[in-house]
Amino acid sequence: MIKHDIVIIGAGLAGMRAALEACENHDVAIVTKIYPTRSHSGAAQGGVAAALANLAEDDSPDFHMFDTVKGSDFLGDQDAIEIMVNDAPHVIREMEHFGCVFSRDEKGRIAQRAFGGHSKPRSCYAADRTGHALLHSLYEQILKVSKKLTIYSEYYLRDLVINDFTCNGAIIQDIKTGKIEVLNSKAVLMATGGYGRAFQITSNAFACSGDGLIAAMNNGVPLMDMEFVQFHPTGLYGQGILVSEAARGEGGYLVNGKGERFMETYASKMMELAPRDIVSRSEQTEINEGRGIDGKDFVHLDMRHLGREKILEKLPQVRQLGIDFIGVDMIDAPIPIQPTAHYSMGGIPCDVHGQVIRDKDSSPVRGLFAAGECACVSVHGANRLGTNSLLEAVVFGKRAGASLNEFALNTNRVEISDENHALERTNKLTKELREMNGKESINVVRNEMKNSMTNDCGVYRNPEKMGRCLNKIKDLQKRFKDCSLGDKGSLFNTDFFEAIELKNMLDFSEIILVGAIERKESRGGHARTDYEKRDDVNWLKHTLATKSADGEIKLDYKPVSITKHQPEERKY
Amino acid sequence: MKTVVVTIDRFDQENQRGSYQQDFTIEIPNGLTVLDCLNKIKWEQDHTLTYRMSCRSAICGSCAFRINGKSKLGCKTQADDVITNGKLRIGPIGNTDIIKDLVVDLEPFWYKLKKVKPWLFANKPKDTTKEFYQSSEGYHKIEDASTCILCACCISECNSLKVDKNYVGPAALAKAQRFIDDSRDKNFVQRTREISEPTKVWDCTHCGECSERCPTDAKPLSRIEEIRERVVNAGVHNNGGARHLLSFFKSVGSSGTLDERKIPIESVGIGNLHANLGEIMPVGLKMLSHGKAPSMIHHNVDKVGEVRKIFKKLNKL
Amino acid sequence: MKYALYTGCVAKGAGKELYTATFLVAEKLGIELVEMTDAACCGAGVIHEGNPFLADVVNARTFASAEEQGLDIMTICGTCQGVLVKTLKKLTSDDAYKKKVNAELAEIKKEFKGTVKVKGLTEIILQDYGLDKLKEKVVNPLKGVKSAPFYGCYTLRPSENSYLENPDNPDELEKLIKALGAEPVDYPERLACCGFPILMMNKKNSLTMGGNAINGAKNAGADCLVTPCPLCFLSFDSYQFEMEKYTSGNFGLPVLHTPQLIGLALGIDSKHMRMNTHITTVESLLEKTTS
Ligand SMILES: Cc1cc2nc3c(=O)[nH]c(=O)nc-3n(C[C@H](O)[C@H](O)[C@H](O)COP(=O)(O)OP(=O)(O)OC[C@H]3O[C@@H](n4cnc5c(N)ncnc54)[C@H](O)[C@@H]3O)c2cc1C
Ligand code: SF4
Ligand code: SF4
Ligand code: FES
Repeated sequence: MIKHDIVIIGAGLAGMRAALEACENHDVAIVTKIYPTRSHSGAAQGGVAAALANLAEDDSPDFHMFDTVKGSDFLGDQDAIEIMVNDAPHVIREMEHFGCVFSRDEKGRIAQRAFGGHSKPRSCYAADRTGHALLHSLYEQILKVSKKLTIYSEYYLRDLVINDFTCNGAIIQDIKTGKIEVLNSKAVLMATGGYGRAFQITSNAFACSGDGLIAAMNNGVPLMDMEFVQFHPTGLYGQGILVSEAARGEGGYLVNGKGERFMETYASKMMELAPRDIVSRSEQTEINEGRGIDGKDFVHLDMRHLGREKILEKLPQVRQLGIDFIGVDMIDAPIPIQPTAHYSMGGIPCDVHGQVIRDKDSSPVRGLFAAGECACVSVHGANRLGTNSLLEAVVFGKRAGASLNEFALNTNRVEISDENHALERTNKLTKELREMNGKESINVVRNEMKNSMTNDCGVYRNPEKMGRCLNKIKDLQKRFKDCSLGDKGSLFNTDFFEAIELKNMLDFSEIILVGAIERKESRGGHARTDYEKRDDVNWLKHTLATKSADGEIKLDYKPVSITKHQPEERKY
Repeated sequence: MKTVVVTIDRFDQENQRGSYQQDFTIEIPNGLTVLDCLNKIKWEQDHTLTYRMSCRSAICGSCAFRINGKSKLGCKTQADDVITNGKLRIGPIGNTDIIKDLVVDLEPFWYKLKKVKPWLFANKPKDTTKEFYQSSEGYHKIEDASTCILCACCISECNSLKVDKNYVGPAALAKAQRFIDDSRDKNFVQRTREISEPTKVWDCTHCGECSERCPTDAKPLSRIEEIRERVVNAGVHNNGGARHLLSFFKSVGSSGTLDERKIPIESVGIGNLHANLGEIMPVGLKMLSHGKAPSMIHHNVDKVGEVRKIFKKLNKL
Repeated sequence: MKYALYTGCVAKGAGKELYTATFLVAEKLGIELVEMTDAACCGAGVIHEGNPFLADVVNARTFASAEEQGLDIMTICGTCQGVLVKTLKKLTSDDAYKKKVNAELAEIKKEFKGTVKVKGLTEIILQDYGLDKLKEKVVNPLKGVKSAPFYGCYTLRPSENSYLENPDNPDELEKLIKALGAEPVDYPERLACCGFPILMMNKKNSLTMGGNAINGAKNAGADCLVTPCPLCFLSFDSYQFEMEKYTSGNFGLPVLHTPQLIGLALGIDSKHMRMNTHITTVESLLEKTTS
């Protein structure tokens, strides 16, 4: 058993920002299954929102708040949103102070650009590698204080130690050696990122397998709003690799098979820069109604009118992605794109301090905190606006770090008295997986899950498809047990960890579906063909899903915090 | 669909198999990346095949492999571009210890990165109500280095690292430039001194492998050249590299050509000459005895006045 | 064929044998050379590291001189070749920069127009002269001579500046060696660095690099090592006896400048090419080439 004051799971923006805040007074450990700079935050391209008013002088946090509330399809909690938008300029300038390499305007201020759903150009950016720039500056700051920290790189979170809704540690496994360790701490922060990997077409990294959510859920913590998955309109065709919204922010057009800028029909004012849920739905409608390119399942993103120079200055990396992955140079040709599973609005429910809650009355799970994409505060509600999630990770990462600091100052470590008990679930699963010797293939099960989720739980949902998909997932959960593990070794056994990831993905897919089937309305990322309208009377509430010991999923609902803006119809 | 034979350089310490090569035959459609090929092999043929990956979009830096002998990102390399005669070879990157198959020990890589103190020493107190301005030119000076994804492609074929494990290597130096040239940093002077110490900027042999292999705009050799420019112009001259450079300037600036009699002596440093005479003497003597010693008088190039004039105006050293 | 010969510093200093061999070979092949006696040192990348702009102006002056003569430049040094091509590219791809450089040249009444080309001797023989024509001139095929080609960094990298078809795995020197009747040998350090650039700063690292290459070539059965870069040559020839201090293995490998190997096949006397002045004796090689 290893002791620390604070254990942070995840070294993306949220995890590292929290660590920086908490390490001053405490012995902090960061656990991450990939090296910190490999975290998926680094893939974020477009920008991070803050009403700095550098480009639009009349911008303000109030506008930012309204845009976010409206973008969330009014499911966002307004108390949390208000905190986020007010903190935004400060945390961004702080990142600048940490050395973040931002692009600059002619006055030397942080450069800003337009982004979907934002009424003002407030996306602060570093060319088209904003997440990378932020992630690397935070990593640099972590290196600076590394004497105060222990970084467990390439260690995998296997379980949490939670008894009577009090968390005092985590079970982790060294990927390199296979050795399992028990970490005993005063508090644990979950910052494990998103859950987009369950879909065939996705912009997410292999690492985005929702491990943290499942670890929490297995310990009785509910998951909130899991049915809300954001489909980004511009994934590279066939792969889903992201073409940043910055492409449209800089003026790119979406064009259908007939050569029309089809957003005219759906959002005549904001056109391509309407929020993602709306653009993705529009795109899917075009495709479904046969107006894809050559009638196929993709449309075009046309950048050619911007010209070579602007593309090279503002979007160098995005252009390169097109060249590397589908052989199309956006300077000369339009890029084939399709909606791609991109962002996880749902996650571990927590309050504005990062404190994880366990029911609709916001009762806390003592010692357990969450921040970043794995958390659901919720600032994004049913649909996240582009650039708001990097912001969320930094703002709430910092806040969670401050809470951890407070908490650890006022709390004594509860010893883990029964180590074997803490390890029970982990050891059992480890044994089961190692002995798996069935006739099913992990690869086949994984592919069937991903295809099923993309086809039947995608942009448009209906009861038949979702029902079919849920049955499929349940069937795959059974078939998973009949798989075989090809690599029986201990050293760097990625086969083993891929199996755990698959198990996790099957488990949260089930929750996405159960929540989605139940939610009989269309809101943000959840669009049903049988209930096309938003229903504020019955569904202006957050879903809380818990899994009982016998595997039953129970749903409950939690009210939305509405402070300044009453729900209204969204028009863009 | 086409058939490809992928030869993988594998390593297995757990079952005492050590290093071995294994051929896999796969059928692939157009448009697959090398990483896709590896996944195909792992998921369909041999689950024990081990490598790192995450983003599969060339940004996380996990998937550096030697592809046909040279380091590249697996996810950024189209298989069609590297398959020749139906064959493809994949191995772990070089200049590292192998853990398993394509997974190498990166701890020295991270450790060396830290050695250049890759964090900002802000030259202003933190005040989150005000921005920390940086001009567009200032940004462009550090932009290229800031694109580094820490993938370690550059260290794989580095010639200096191959002969000296203590050399900090190209990625750390690229990172160093990013801070030396950051207008917001207050430690410029100290940084230029530290980077001039042994195992750092002057130990690069200028082979160009790092920039050739680097998948981003970080291009370490260009950054190394920039650091050298900064340090000599900042007056950090107490090392062989800087003295060698100054000696070049002196010689070319006065005669248009290199004075081979003086370069070795001036590089060692007049003050250190006594101690290091043994370094220079043997070759000098051999050269003499083979009739190869440079002529006693150093000749100027024709129209040397033109060269001198250029130097006179532009040389700041 | 007529070129402005850019000798570089080494061929006029510690490597005079290269200078001599170049003229002898050119004469045999009917390539006319006009030596650029006013050309300054290319800076070997070192001047560039102290002051890139200054280095570019000095090299632009060299280009302007060749342009005045109406000739393209031939280099006989891999490093000069690499440095000059890099400068040429920079100047011709950026008009504003070219203007800035020309403003300096104006002060010495010169102008860089951008018409000149820079090519290395080997490149010229391979691409312009042609190996078939070269073969016709071979009177003393180097049968059974195993030559280890050593390309040198500047010939290979950056690849976008290289004349080689595939700089990651080239075969141009091999082709040349074959055309001369000799046999190329493959060895791991064929594309490595000779270590010369850090010889003055870190002798141990430098000579370990060089020693590895000599060993590699020897172990592959080479009778000699041949290189188009006189800096690599200096490293391998002049310092070979010292490499033994840093690496264990096989030493005593004759080292040749590319034109010397060509010269031997064309029947030029080794002494005329000053091969007797090499520090590492070439006796063992000459026994093979004259038998
Ligand atoms: C392609 C792409 C582009 C994006 N662009 C933007 C944008 O322009 N603007 C914007 O605001 N947002 C953007 N986003 C969203 C944004 O990047 C993420 O929401 C945000 O970075 C999440 O940060 P995080 O710290 O929560 O998680 P991550 O950065 O994903 O970090 C998760 C961490 O958890 C660790 N972890 C996970 N599971 C385990 C385990 N089992 N054991 C140990 N460690 C574990 C990982 O190793 C990693 O360190 C984009 C997302 C994608 C996919
Ligand atoms: S140029 Fe320098 S740093 Fe780069 S690979 Fe060569 S020796 Fe290493
Ligand atoms: S410098 Fe280039 S090759 Fe080296 S780690 Fe950075 S991105 Fe990778
Ligand atoms: S998988 Fe991230 S760089 Fe290749």
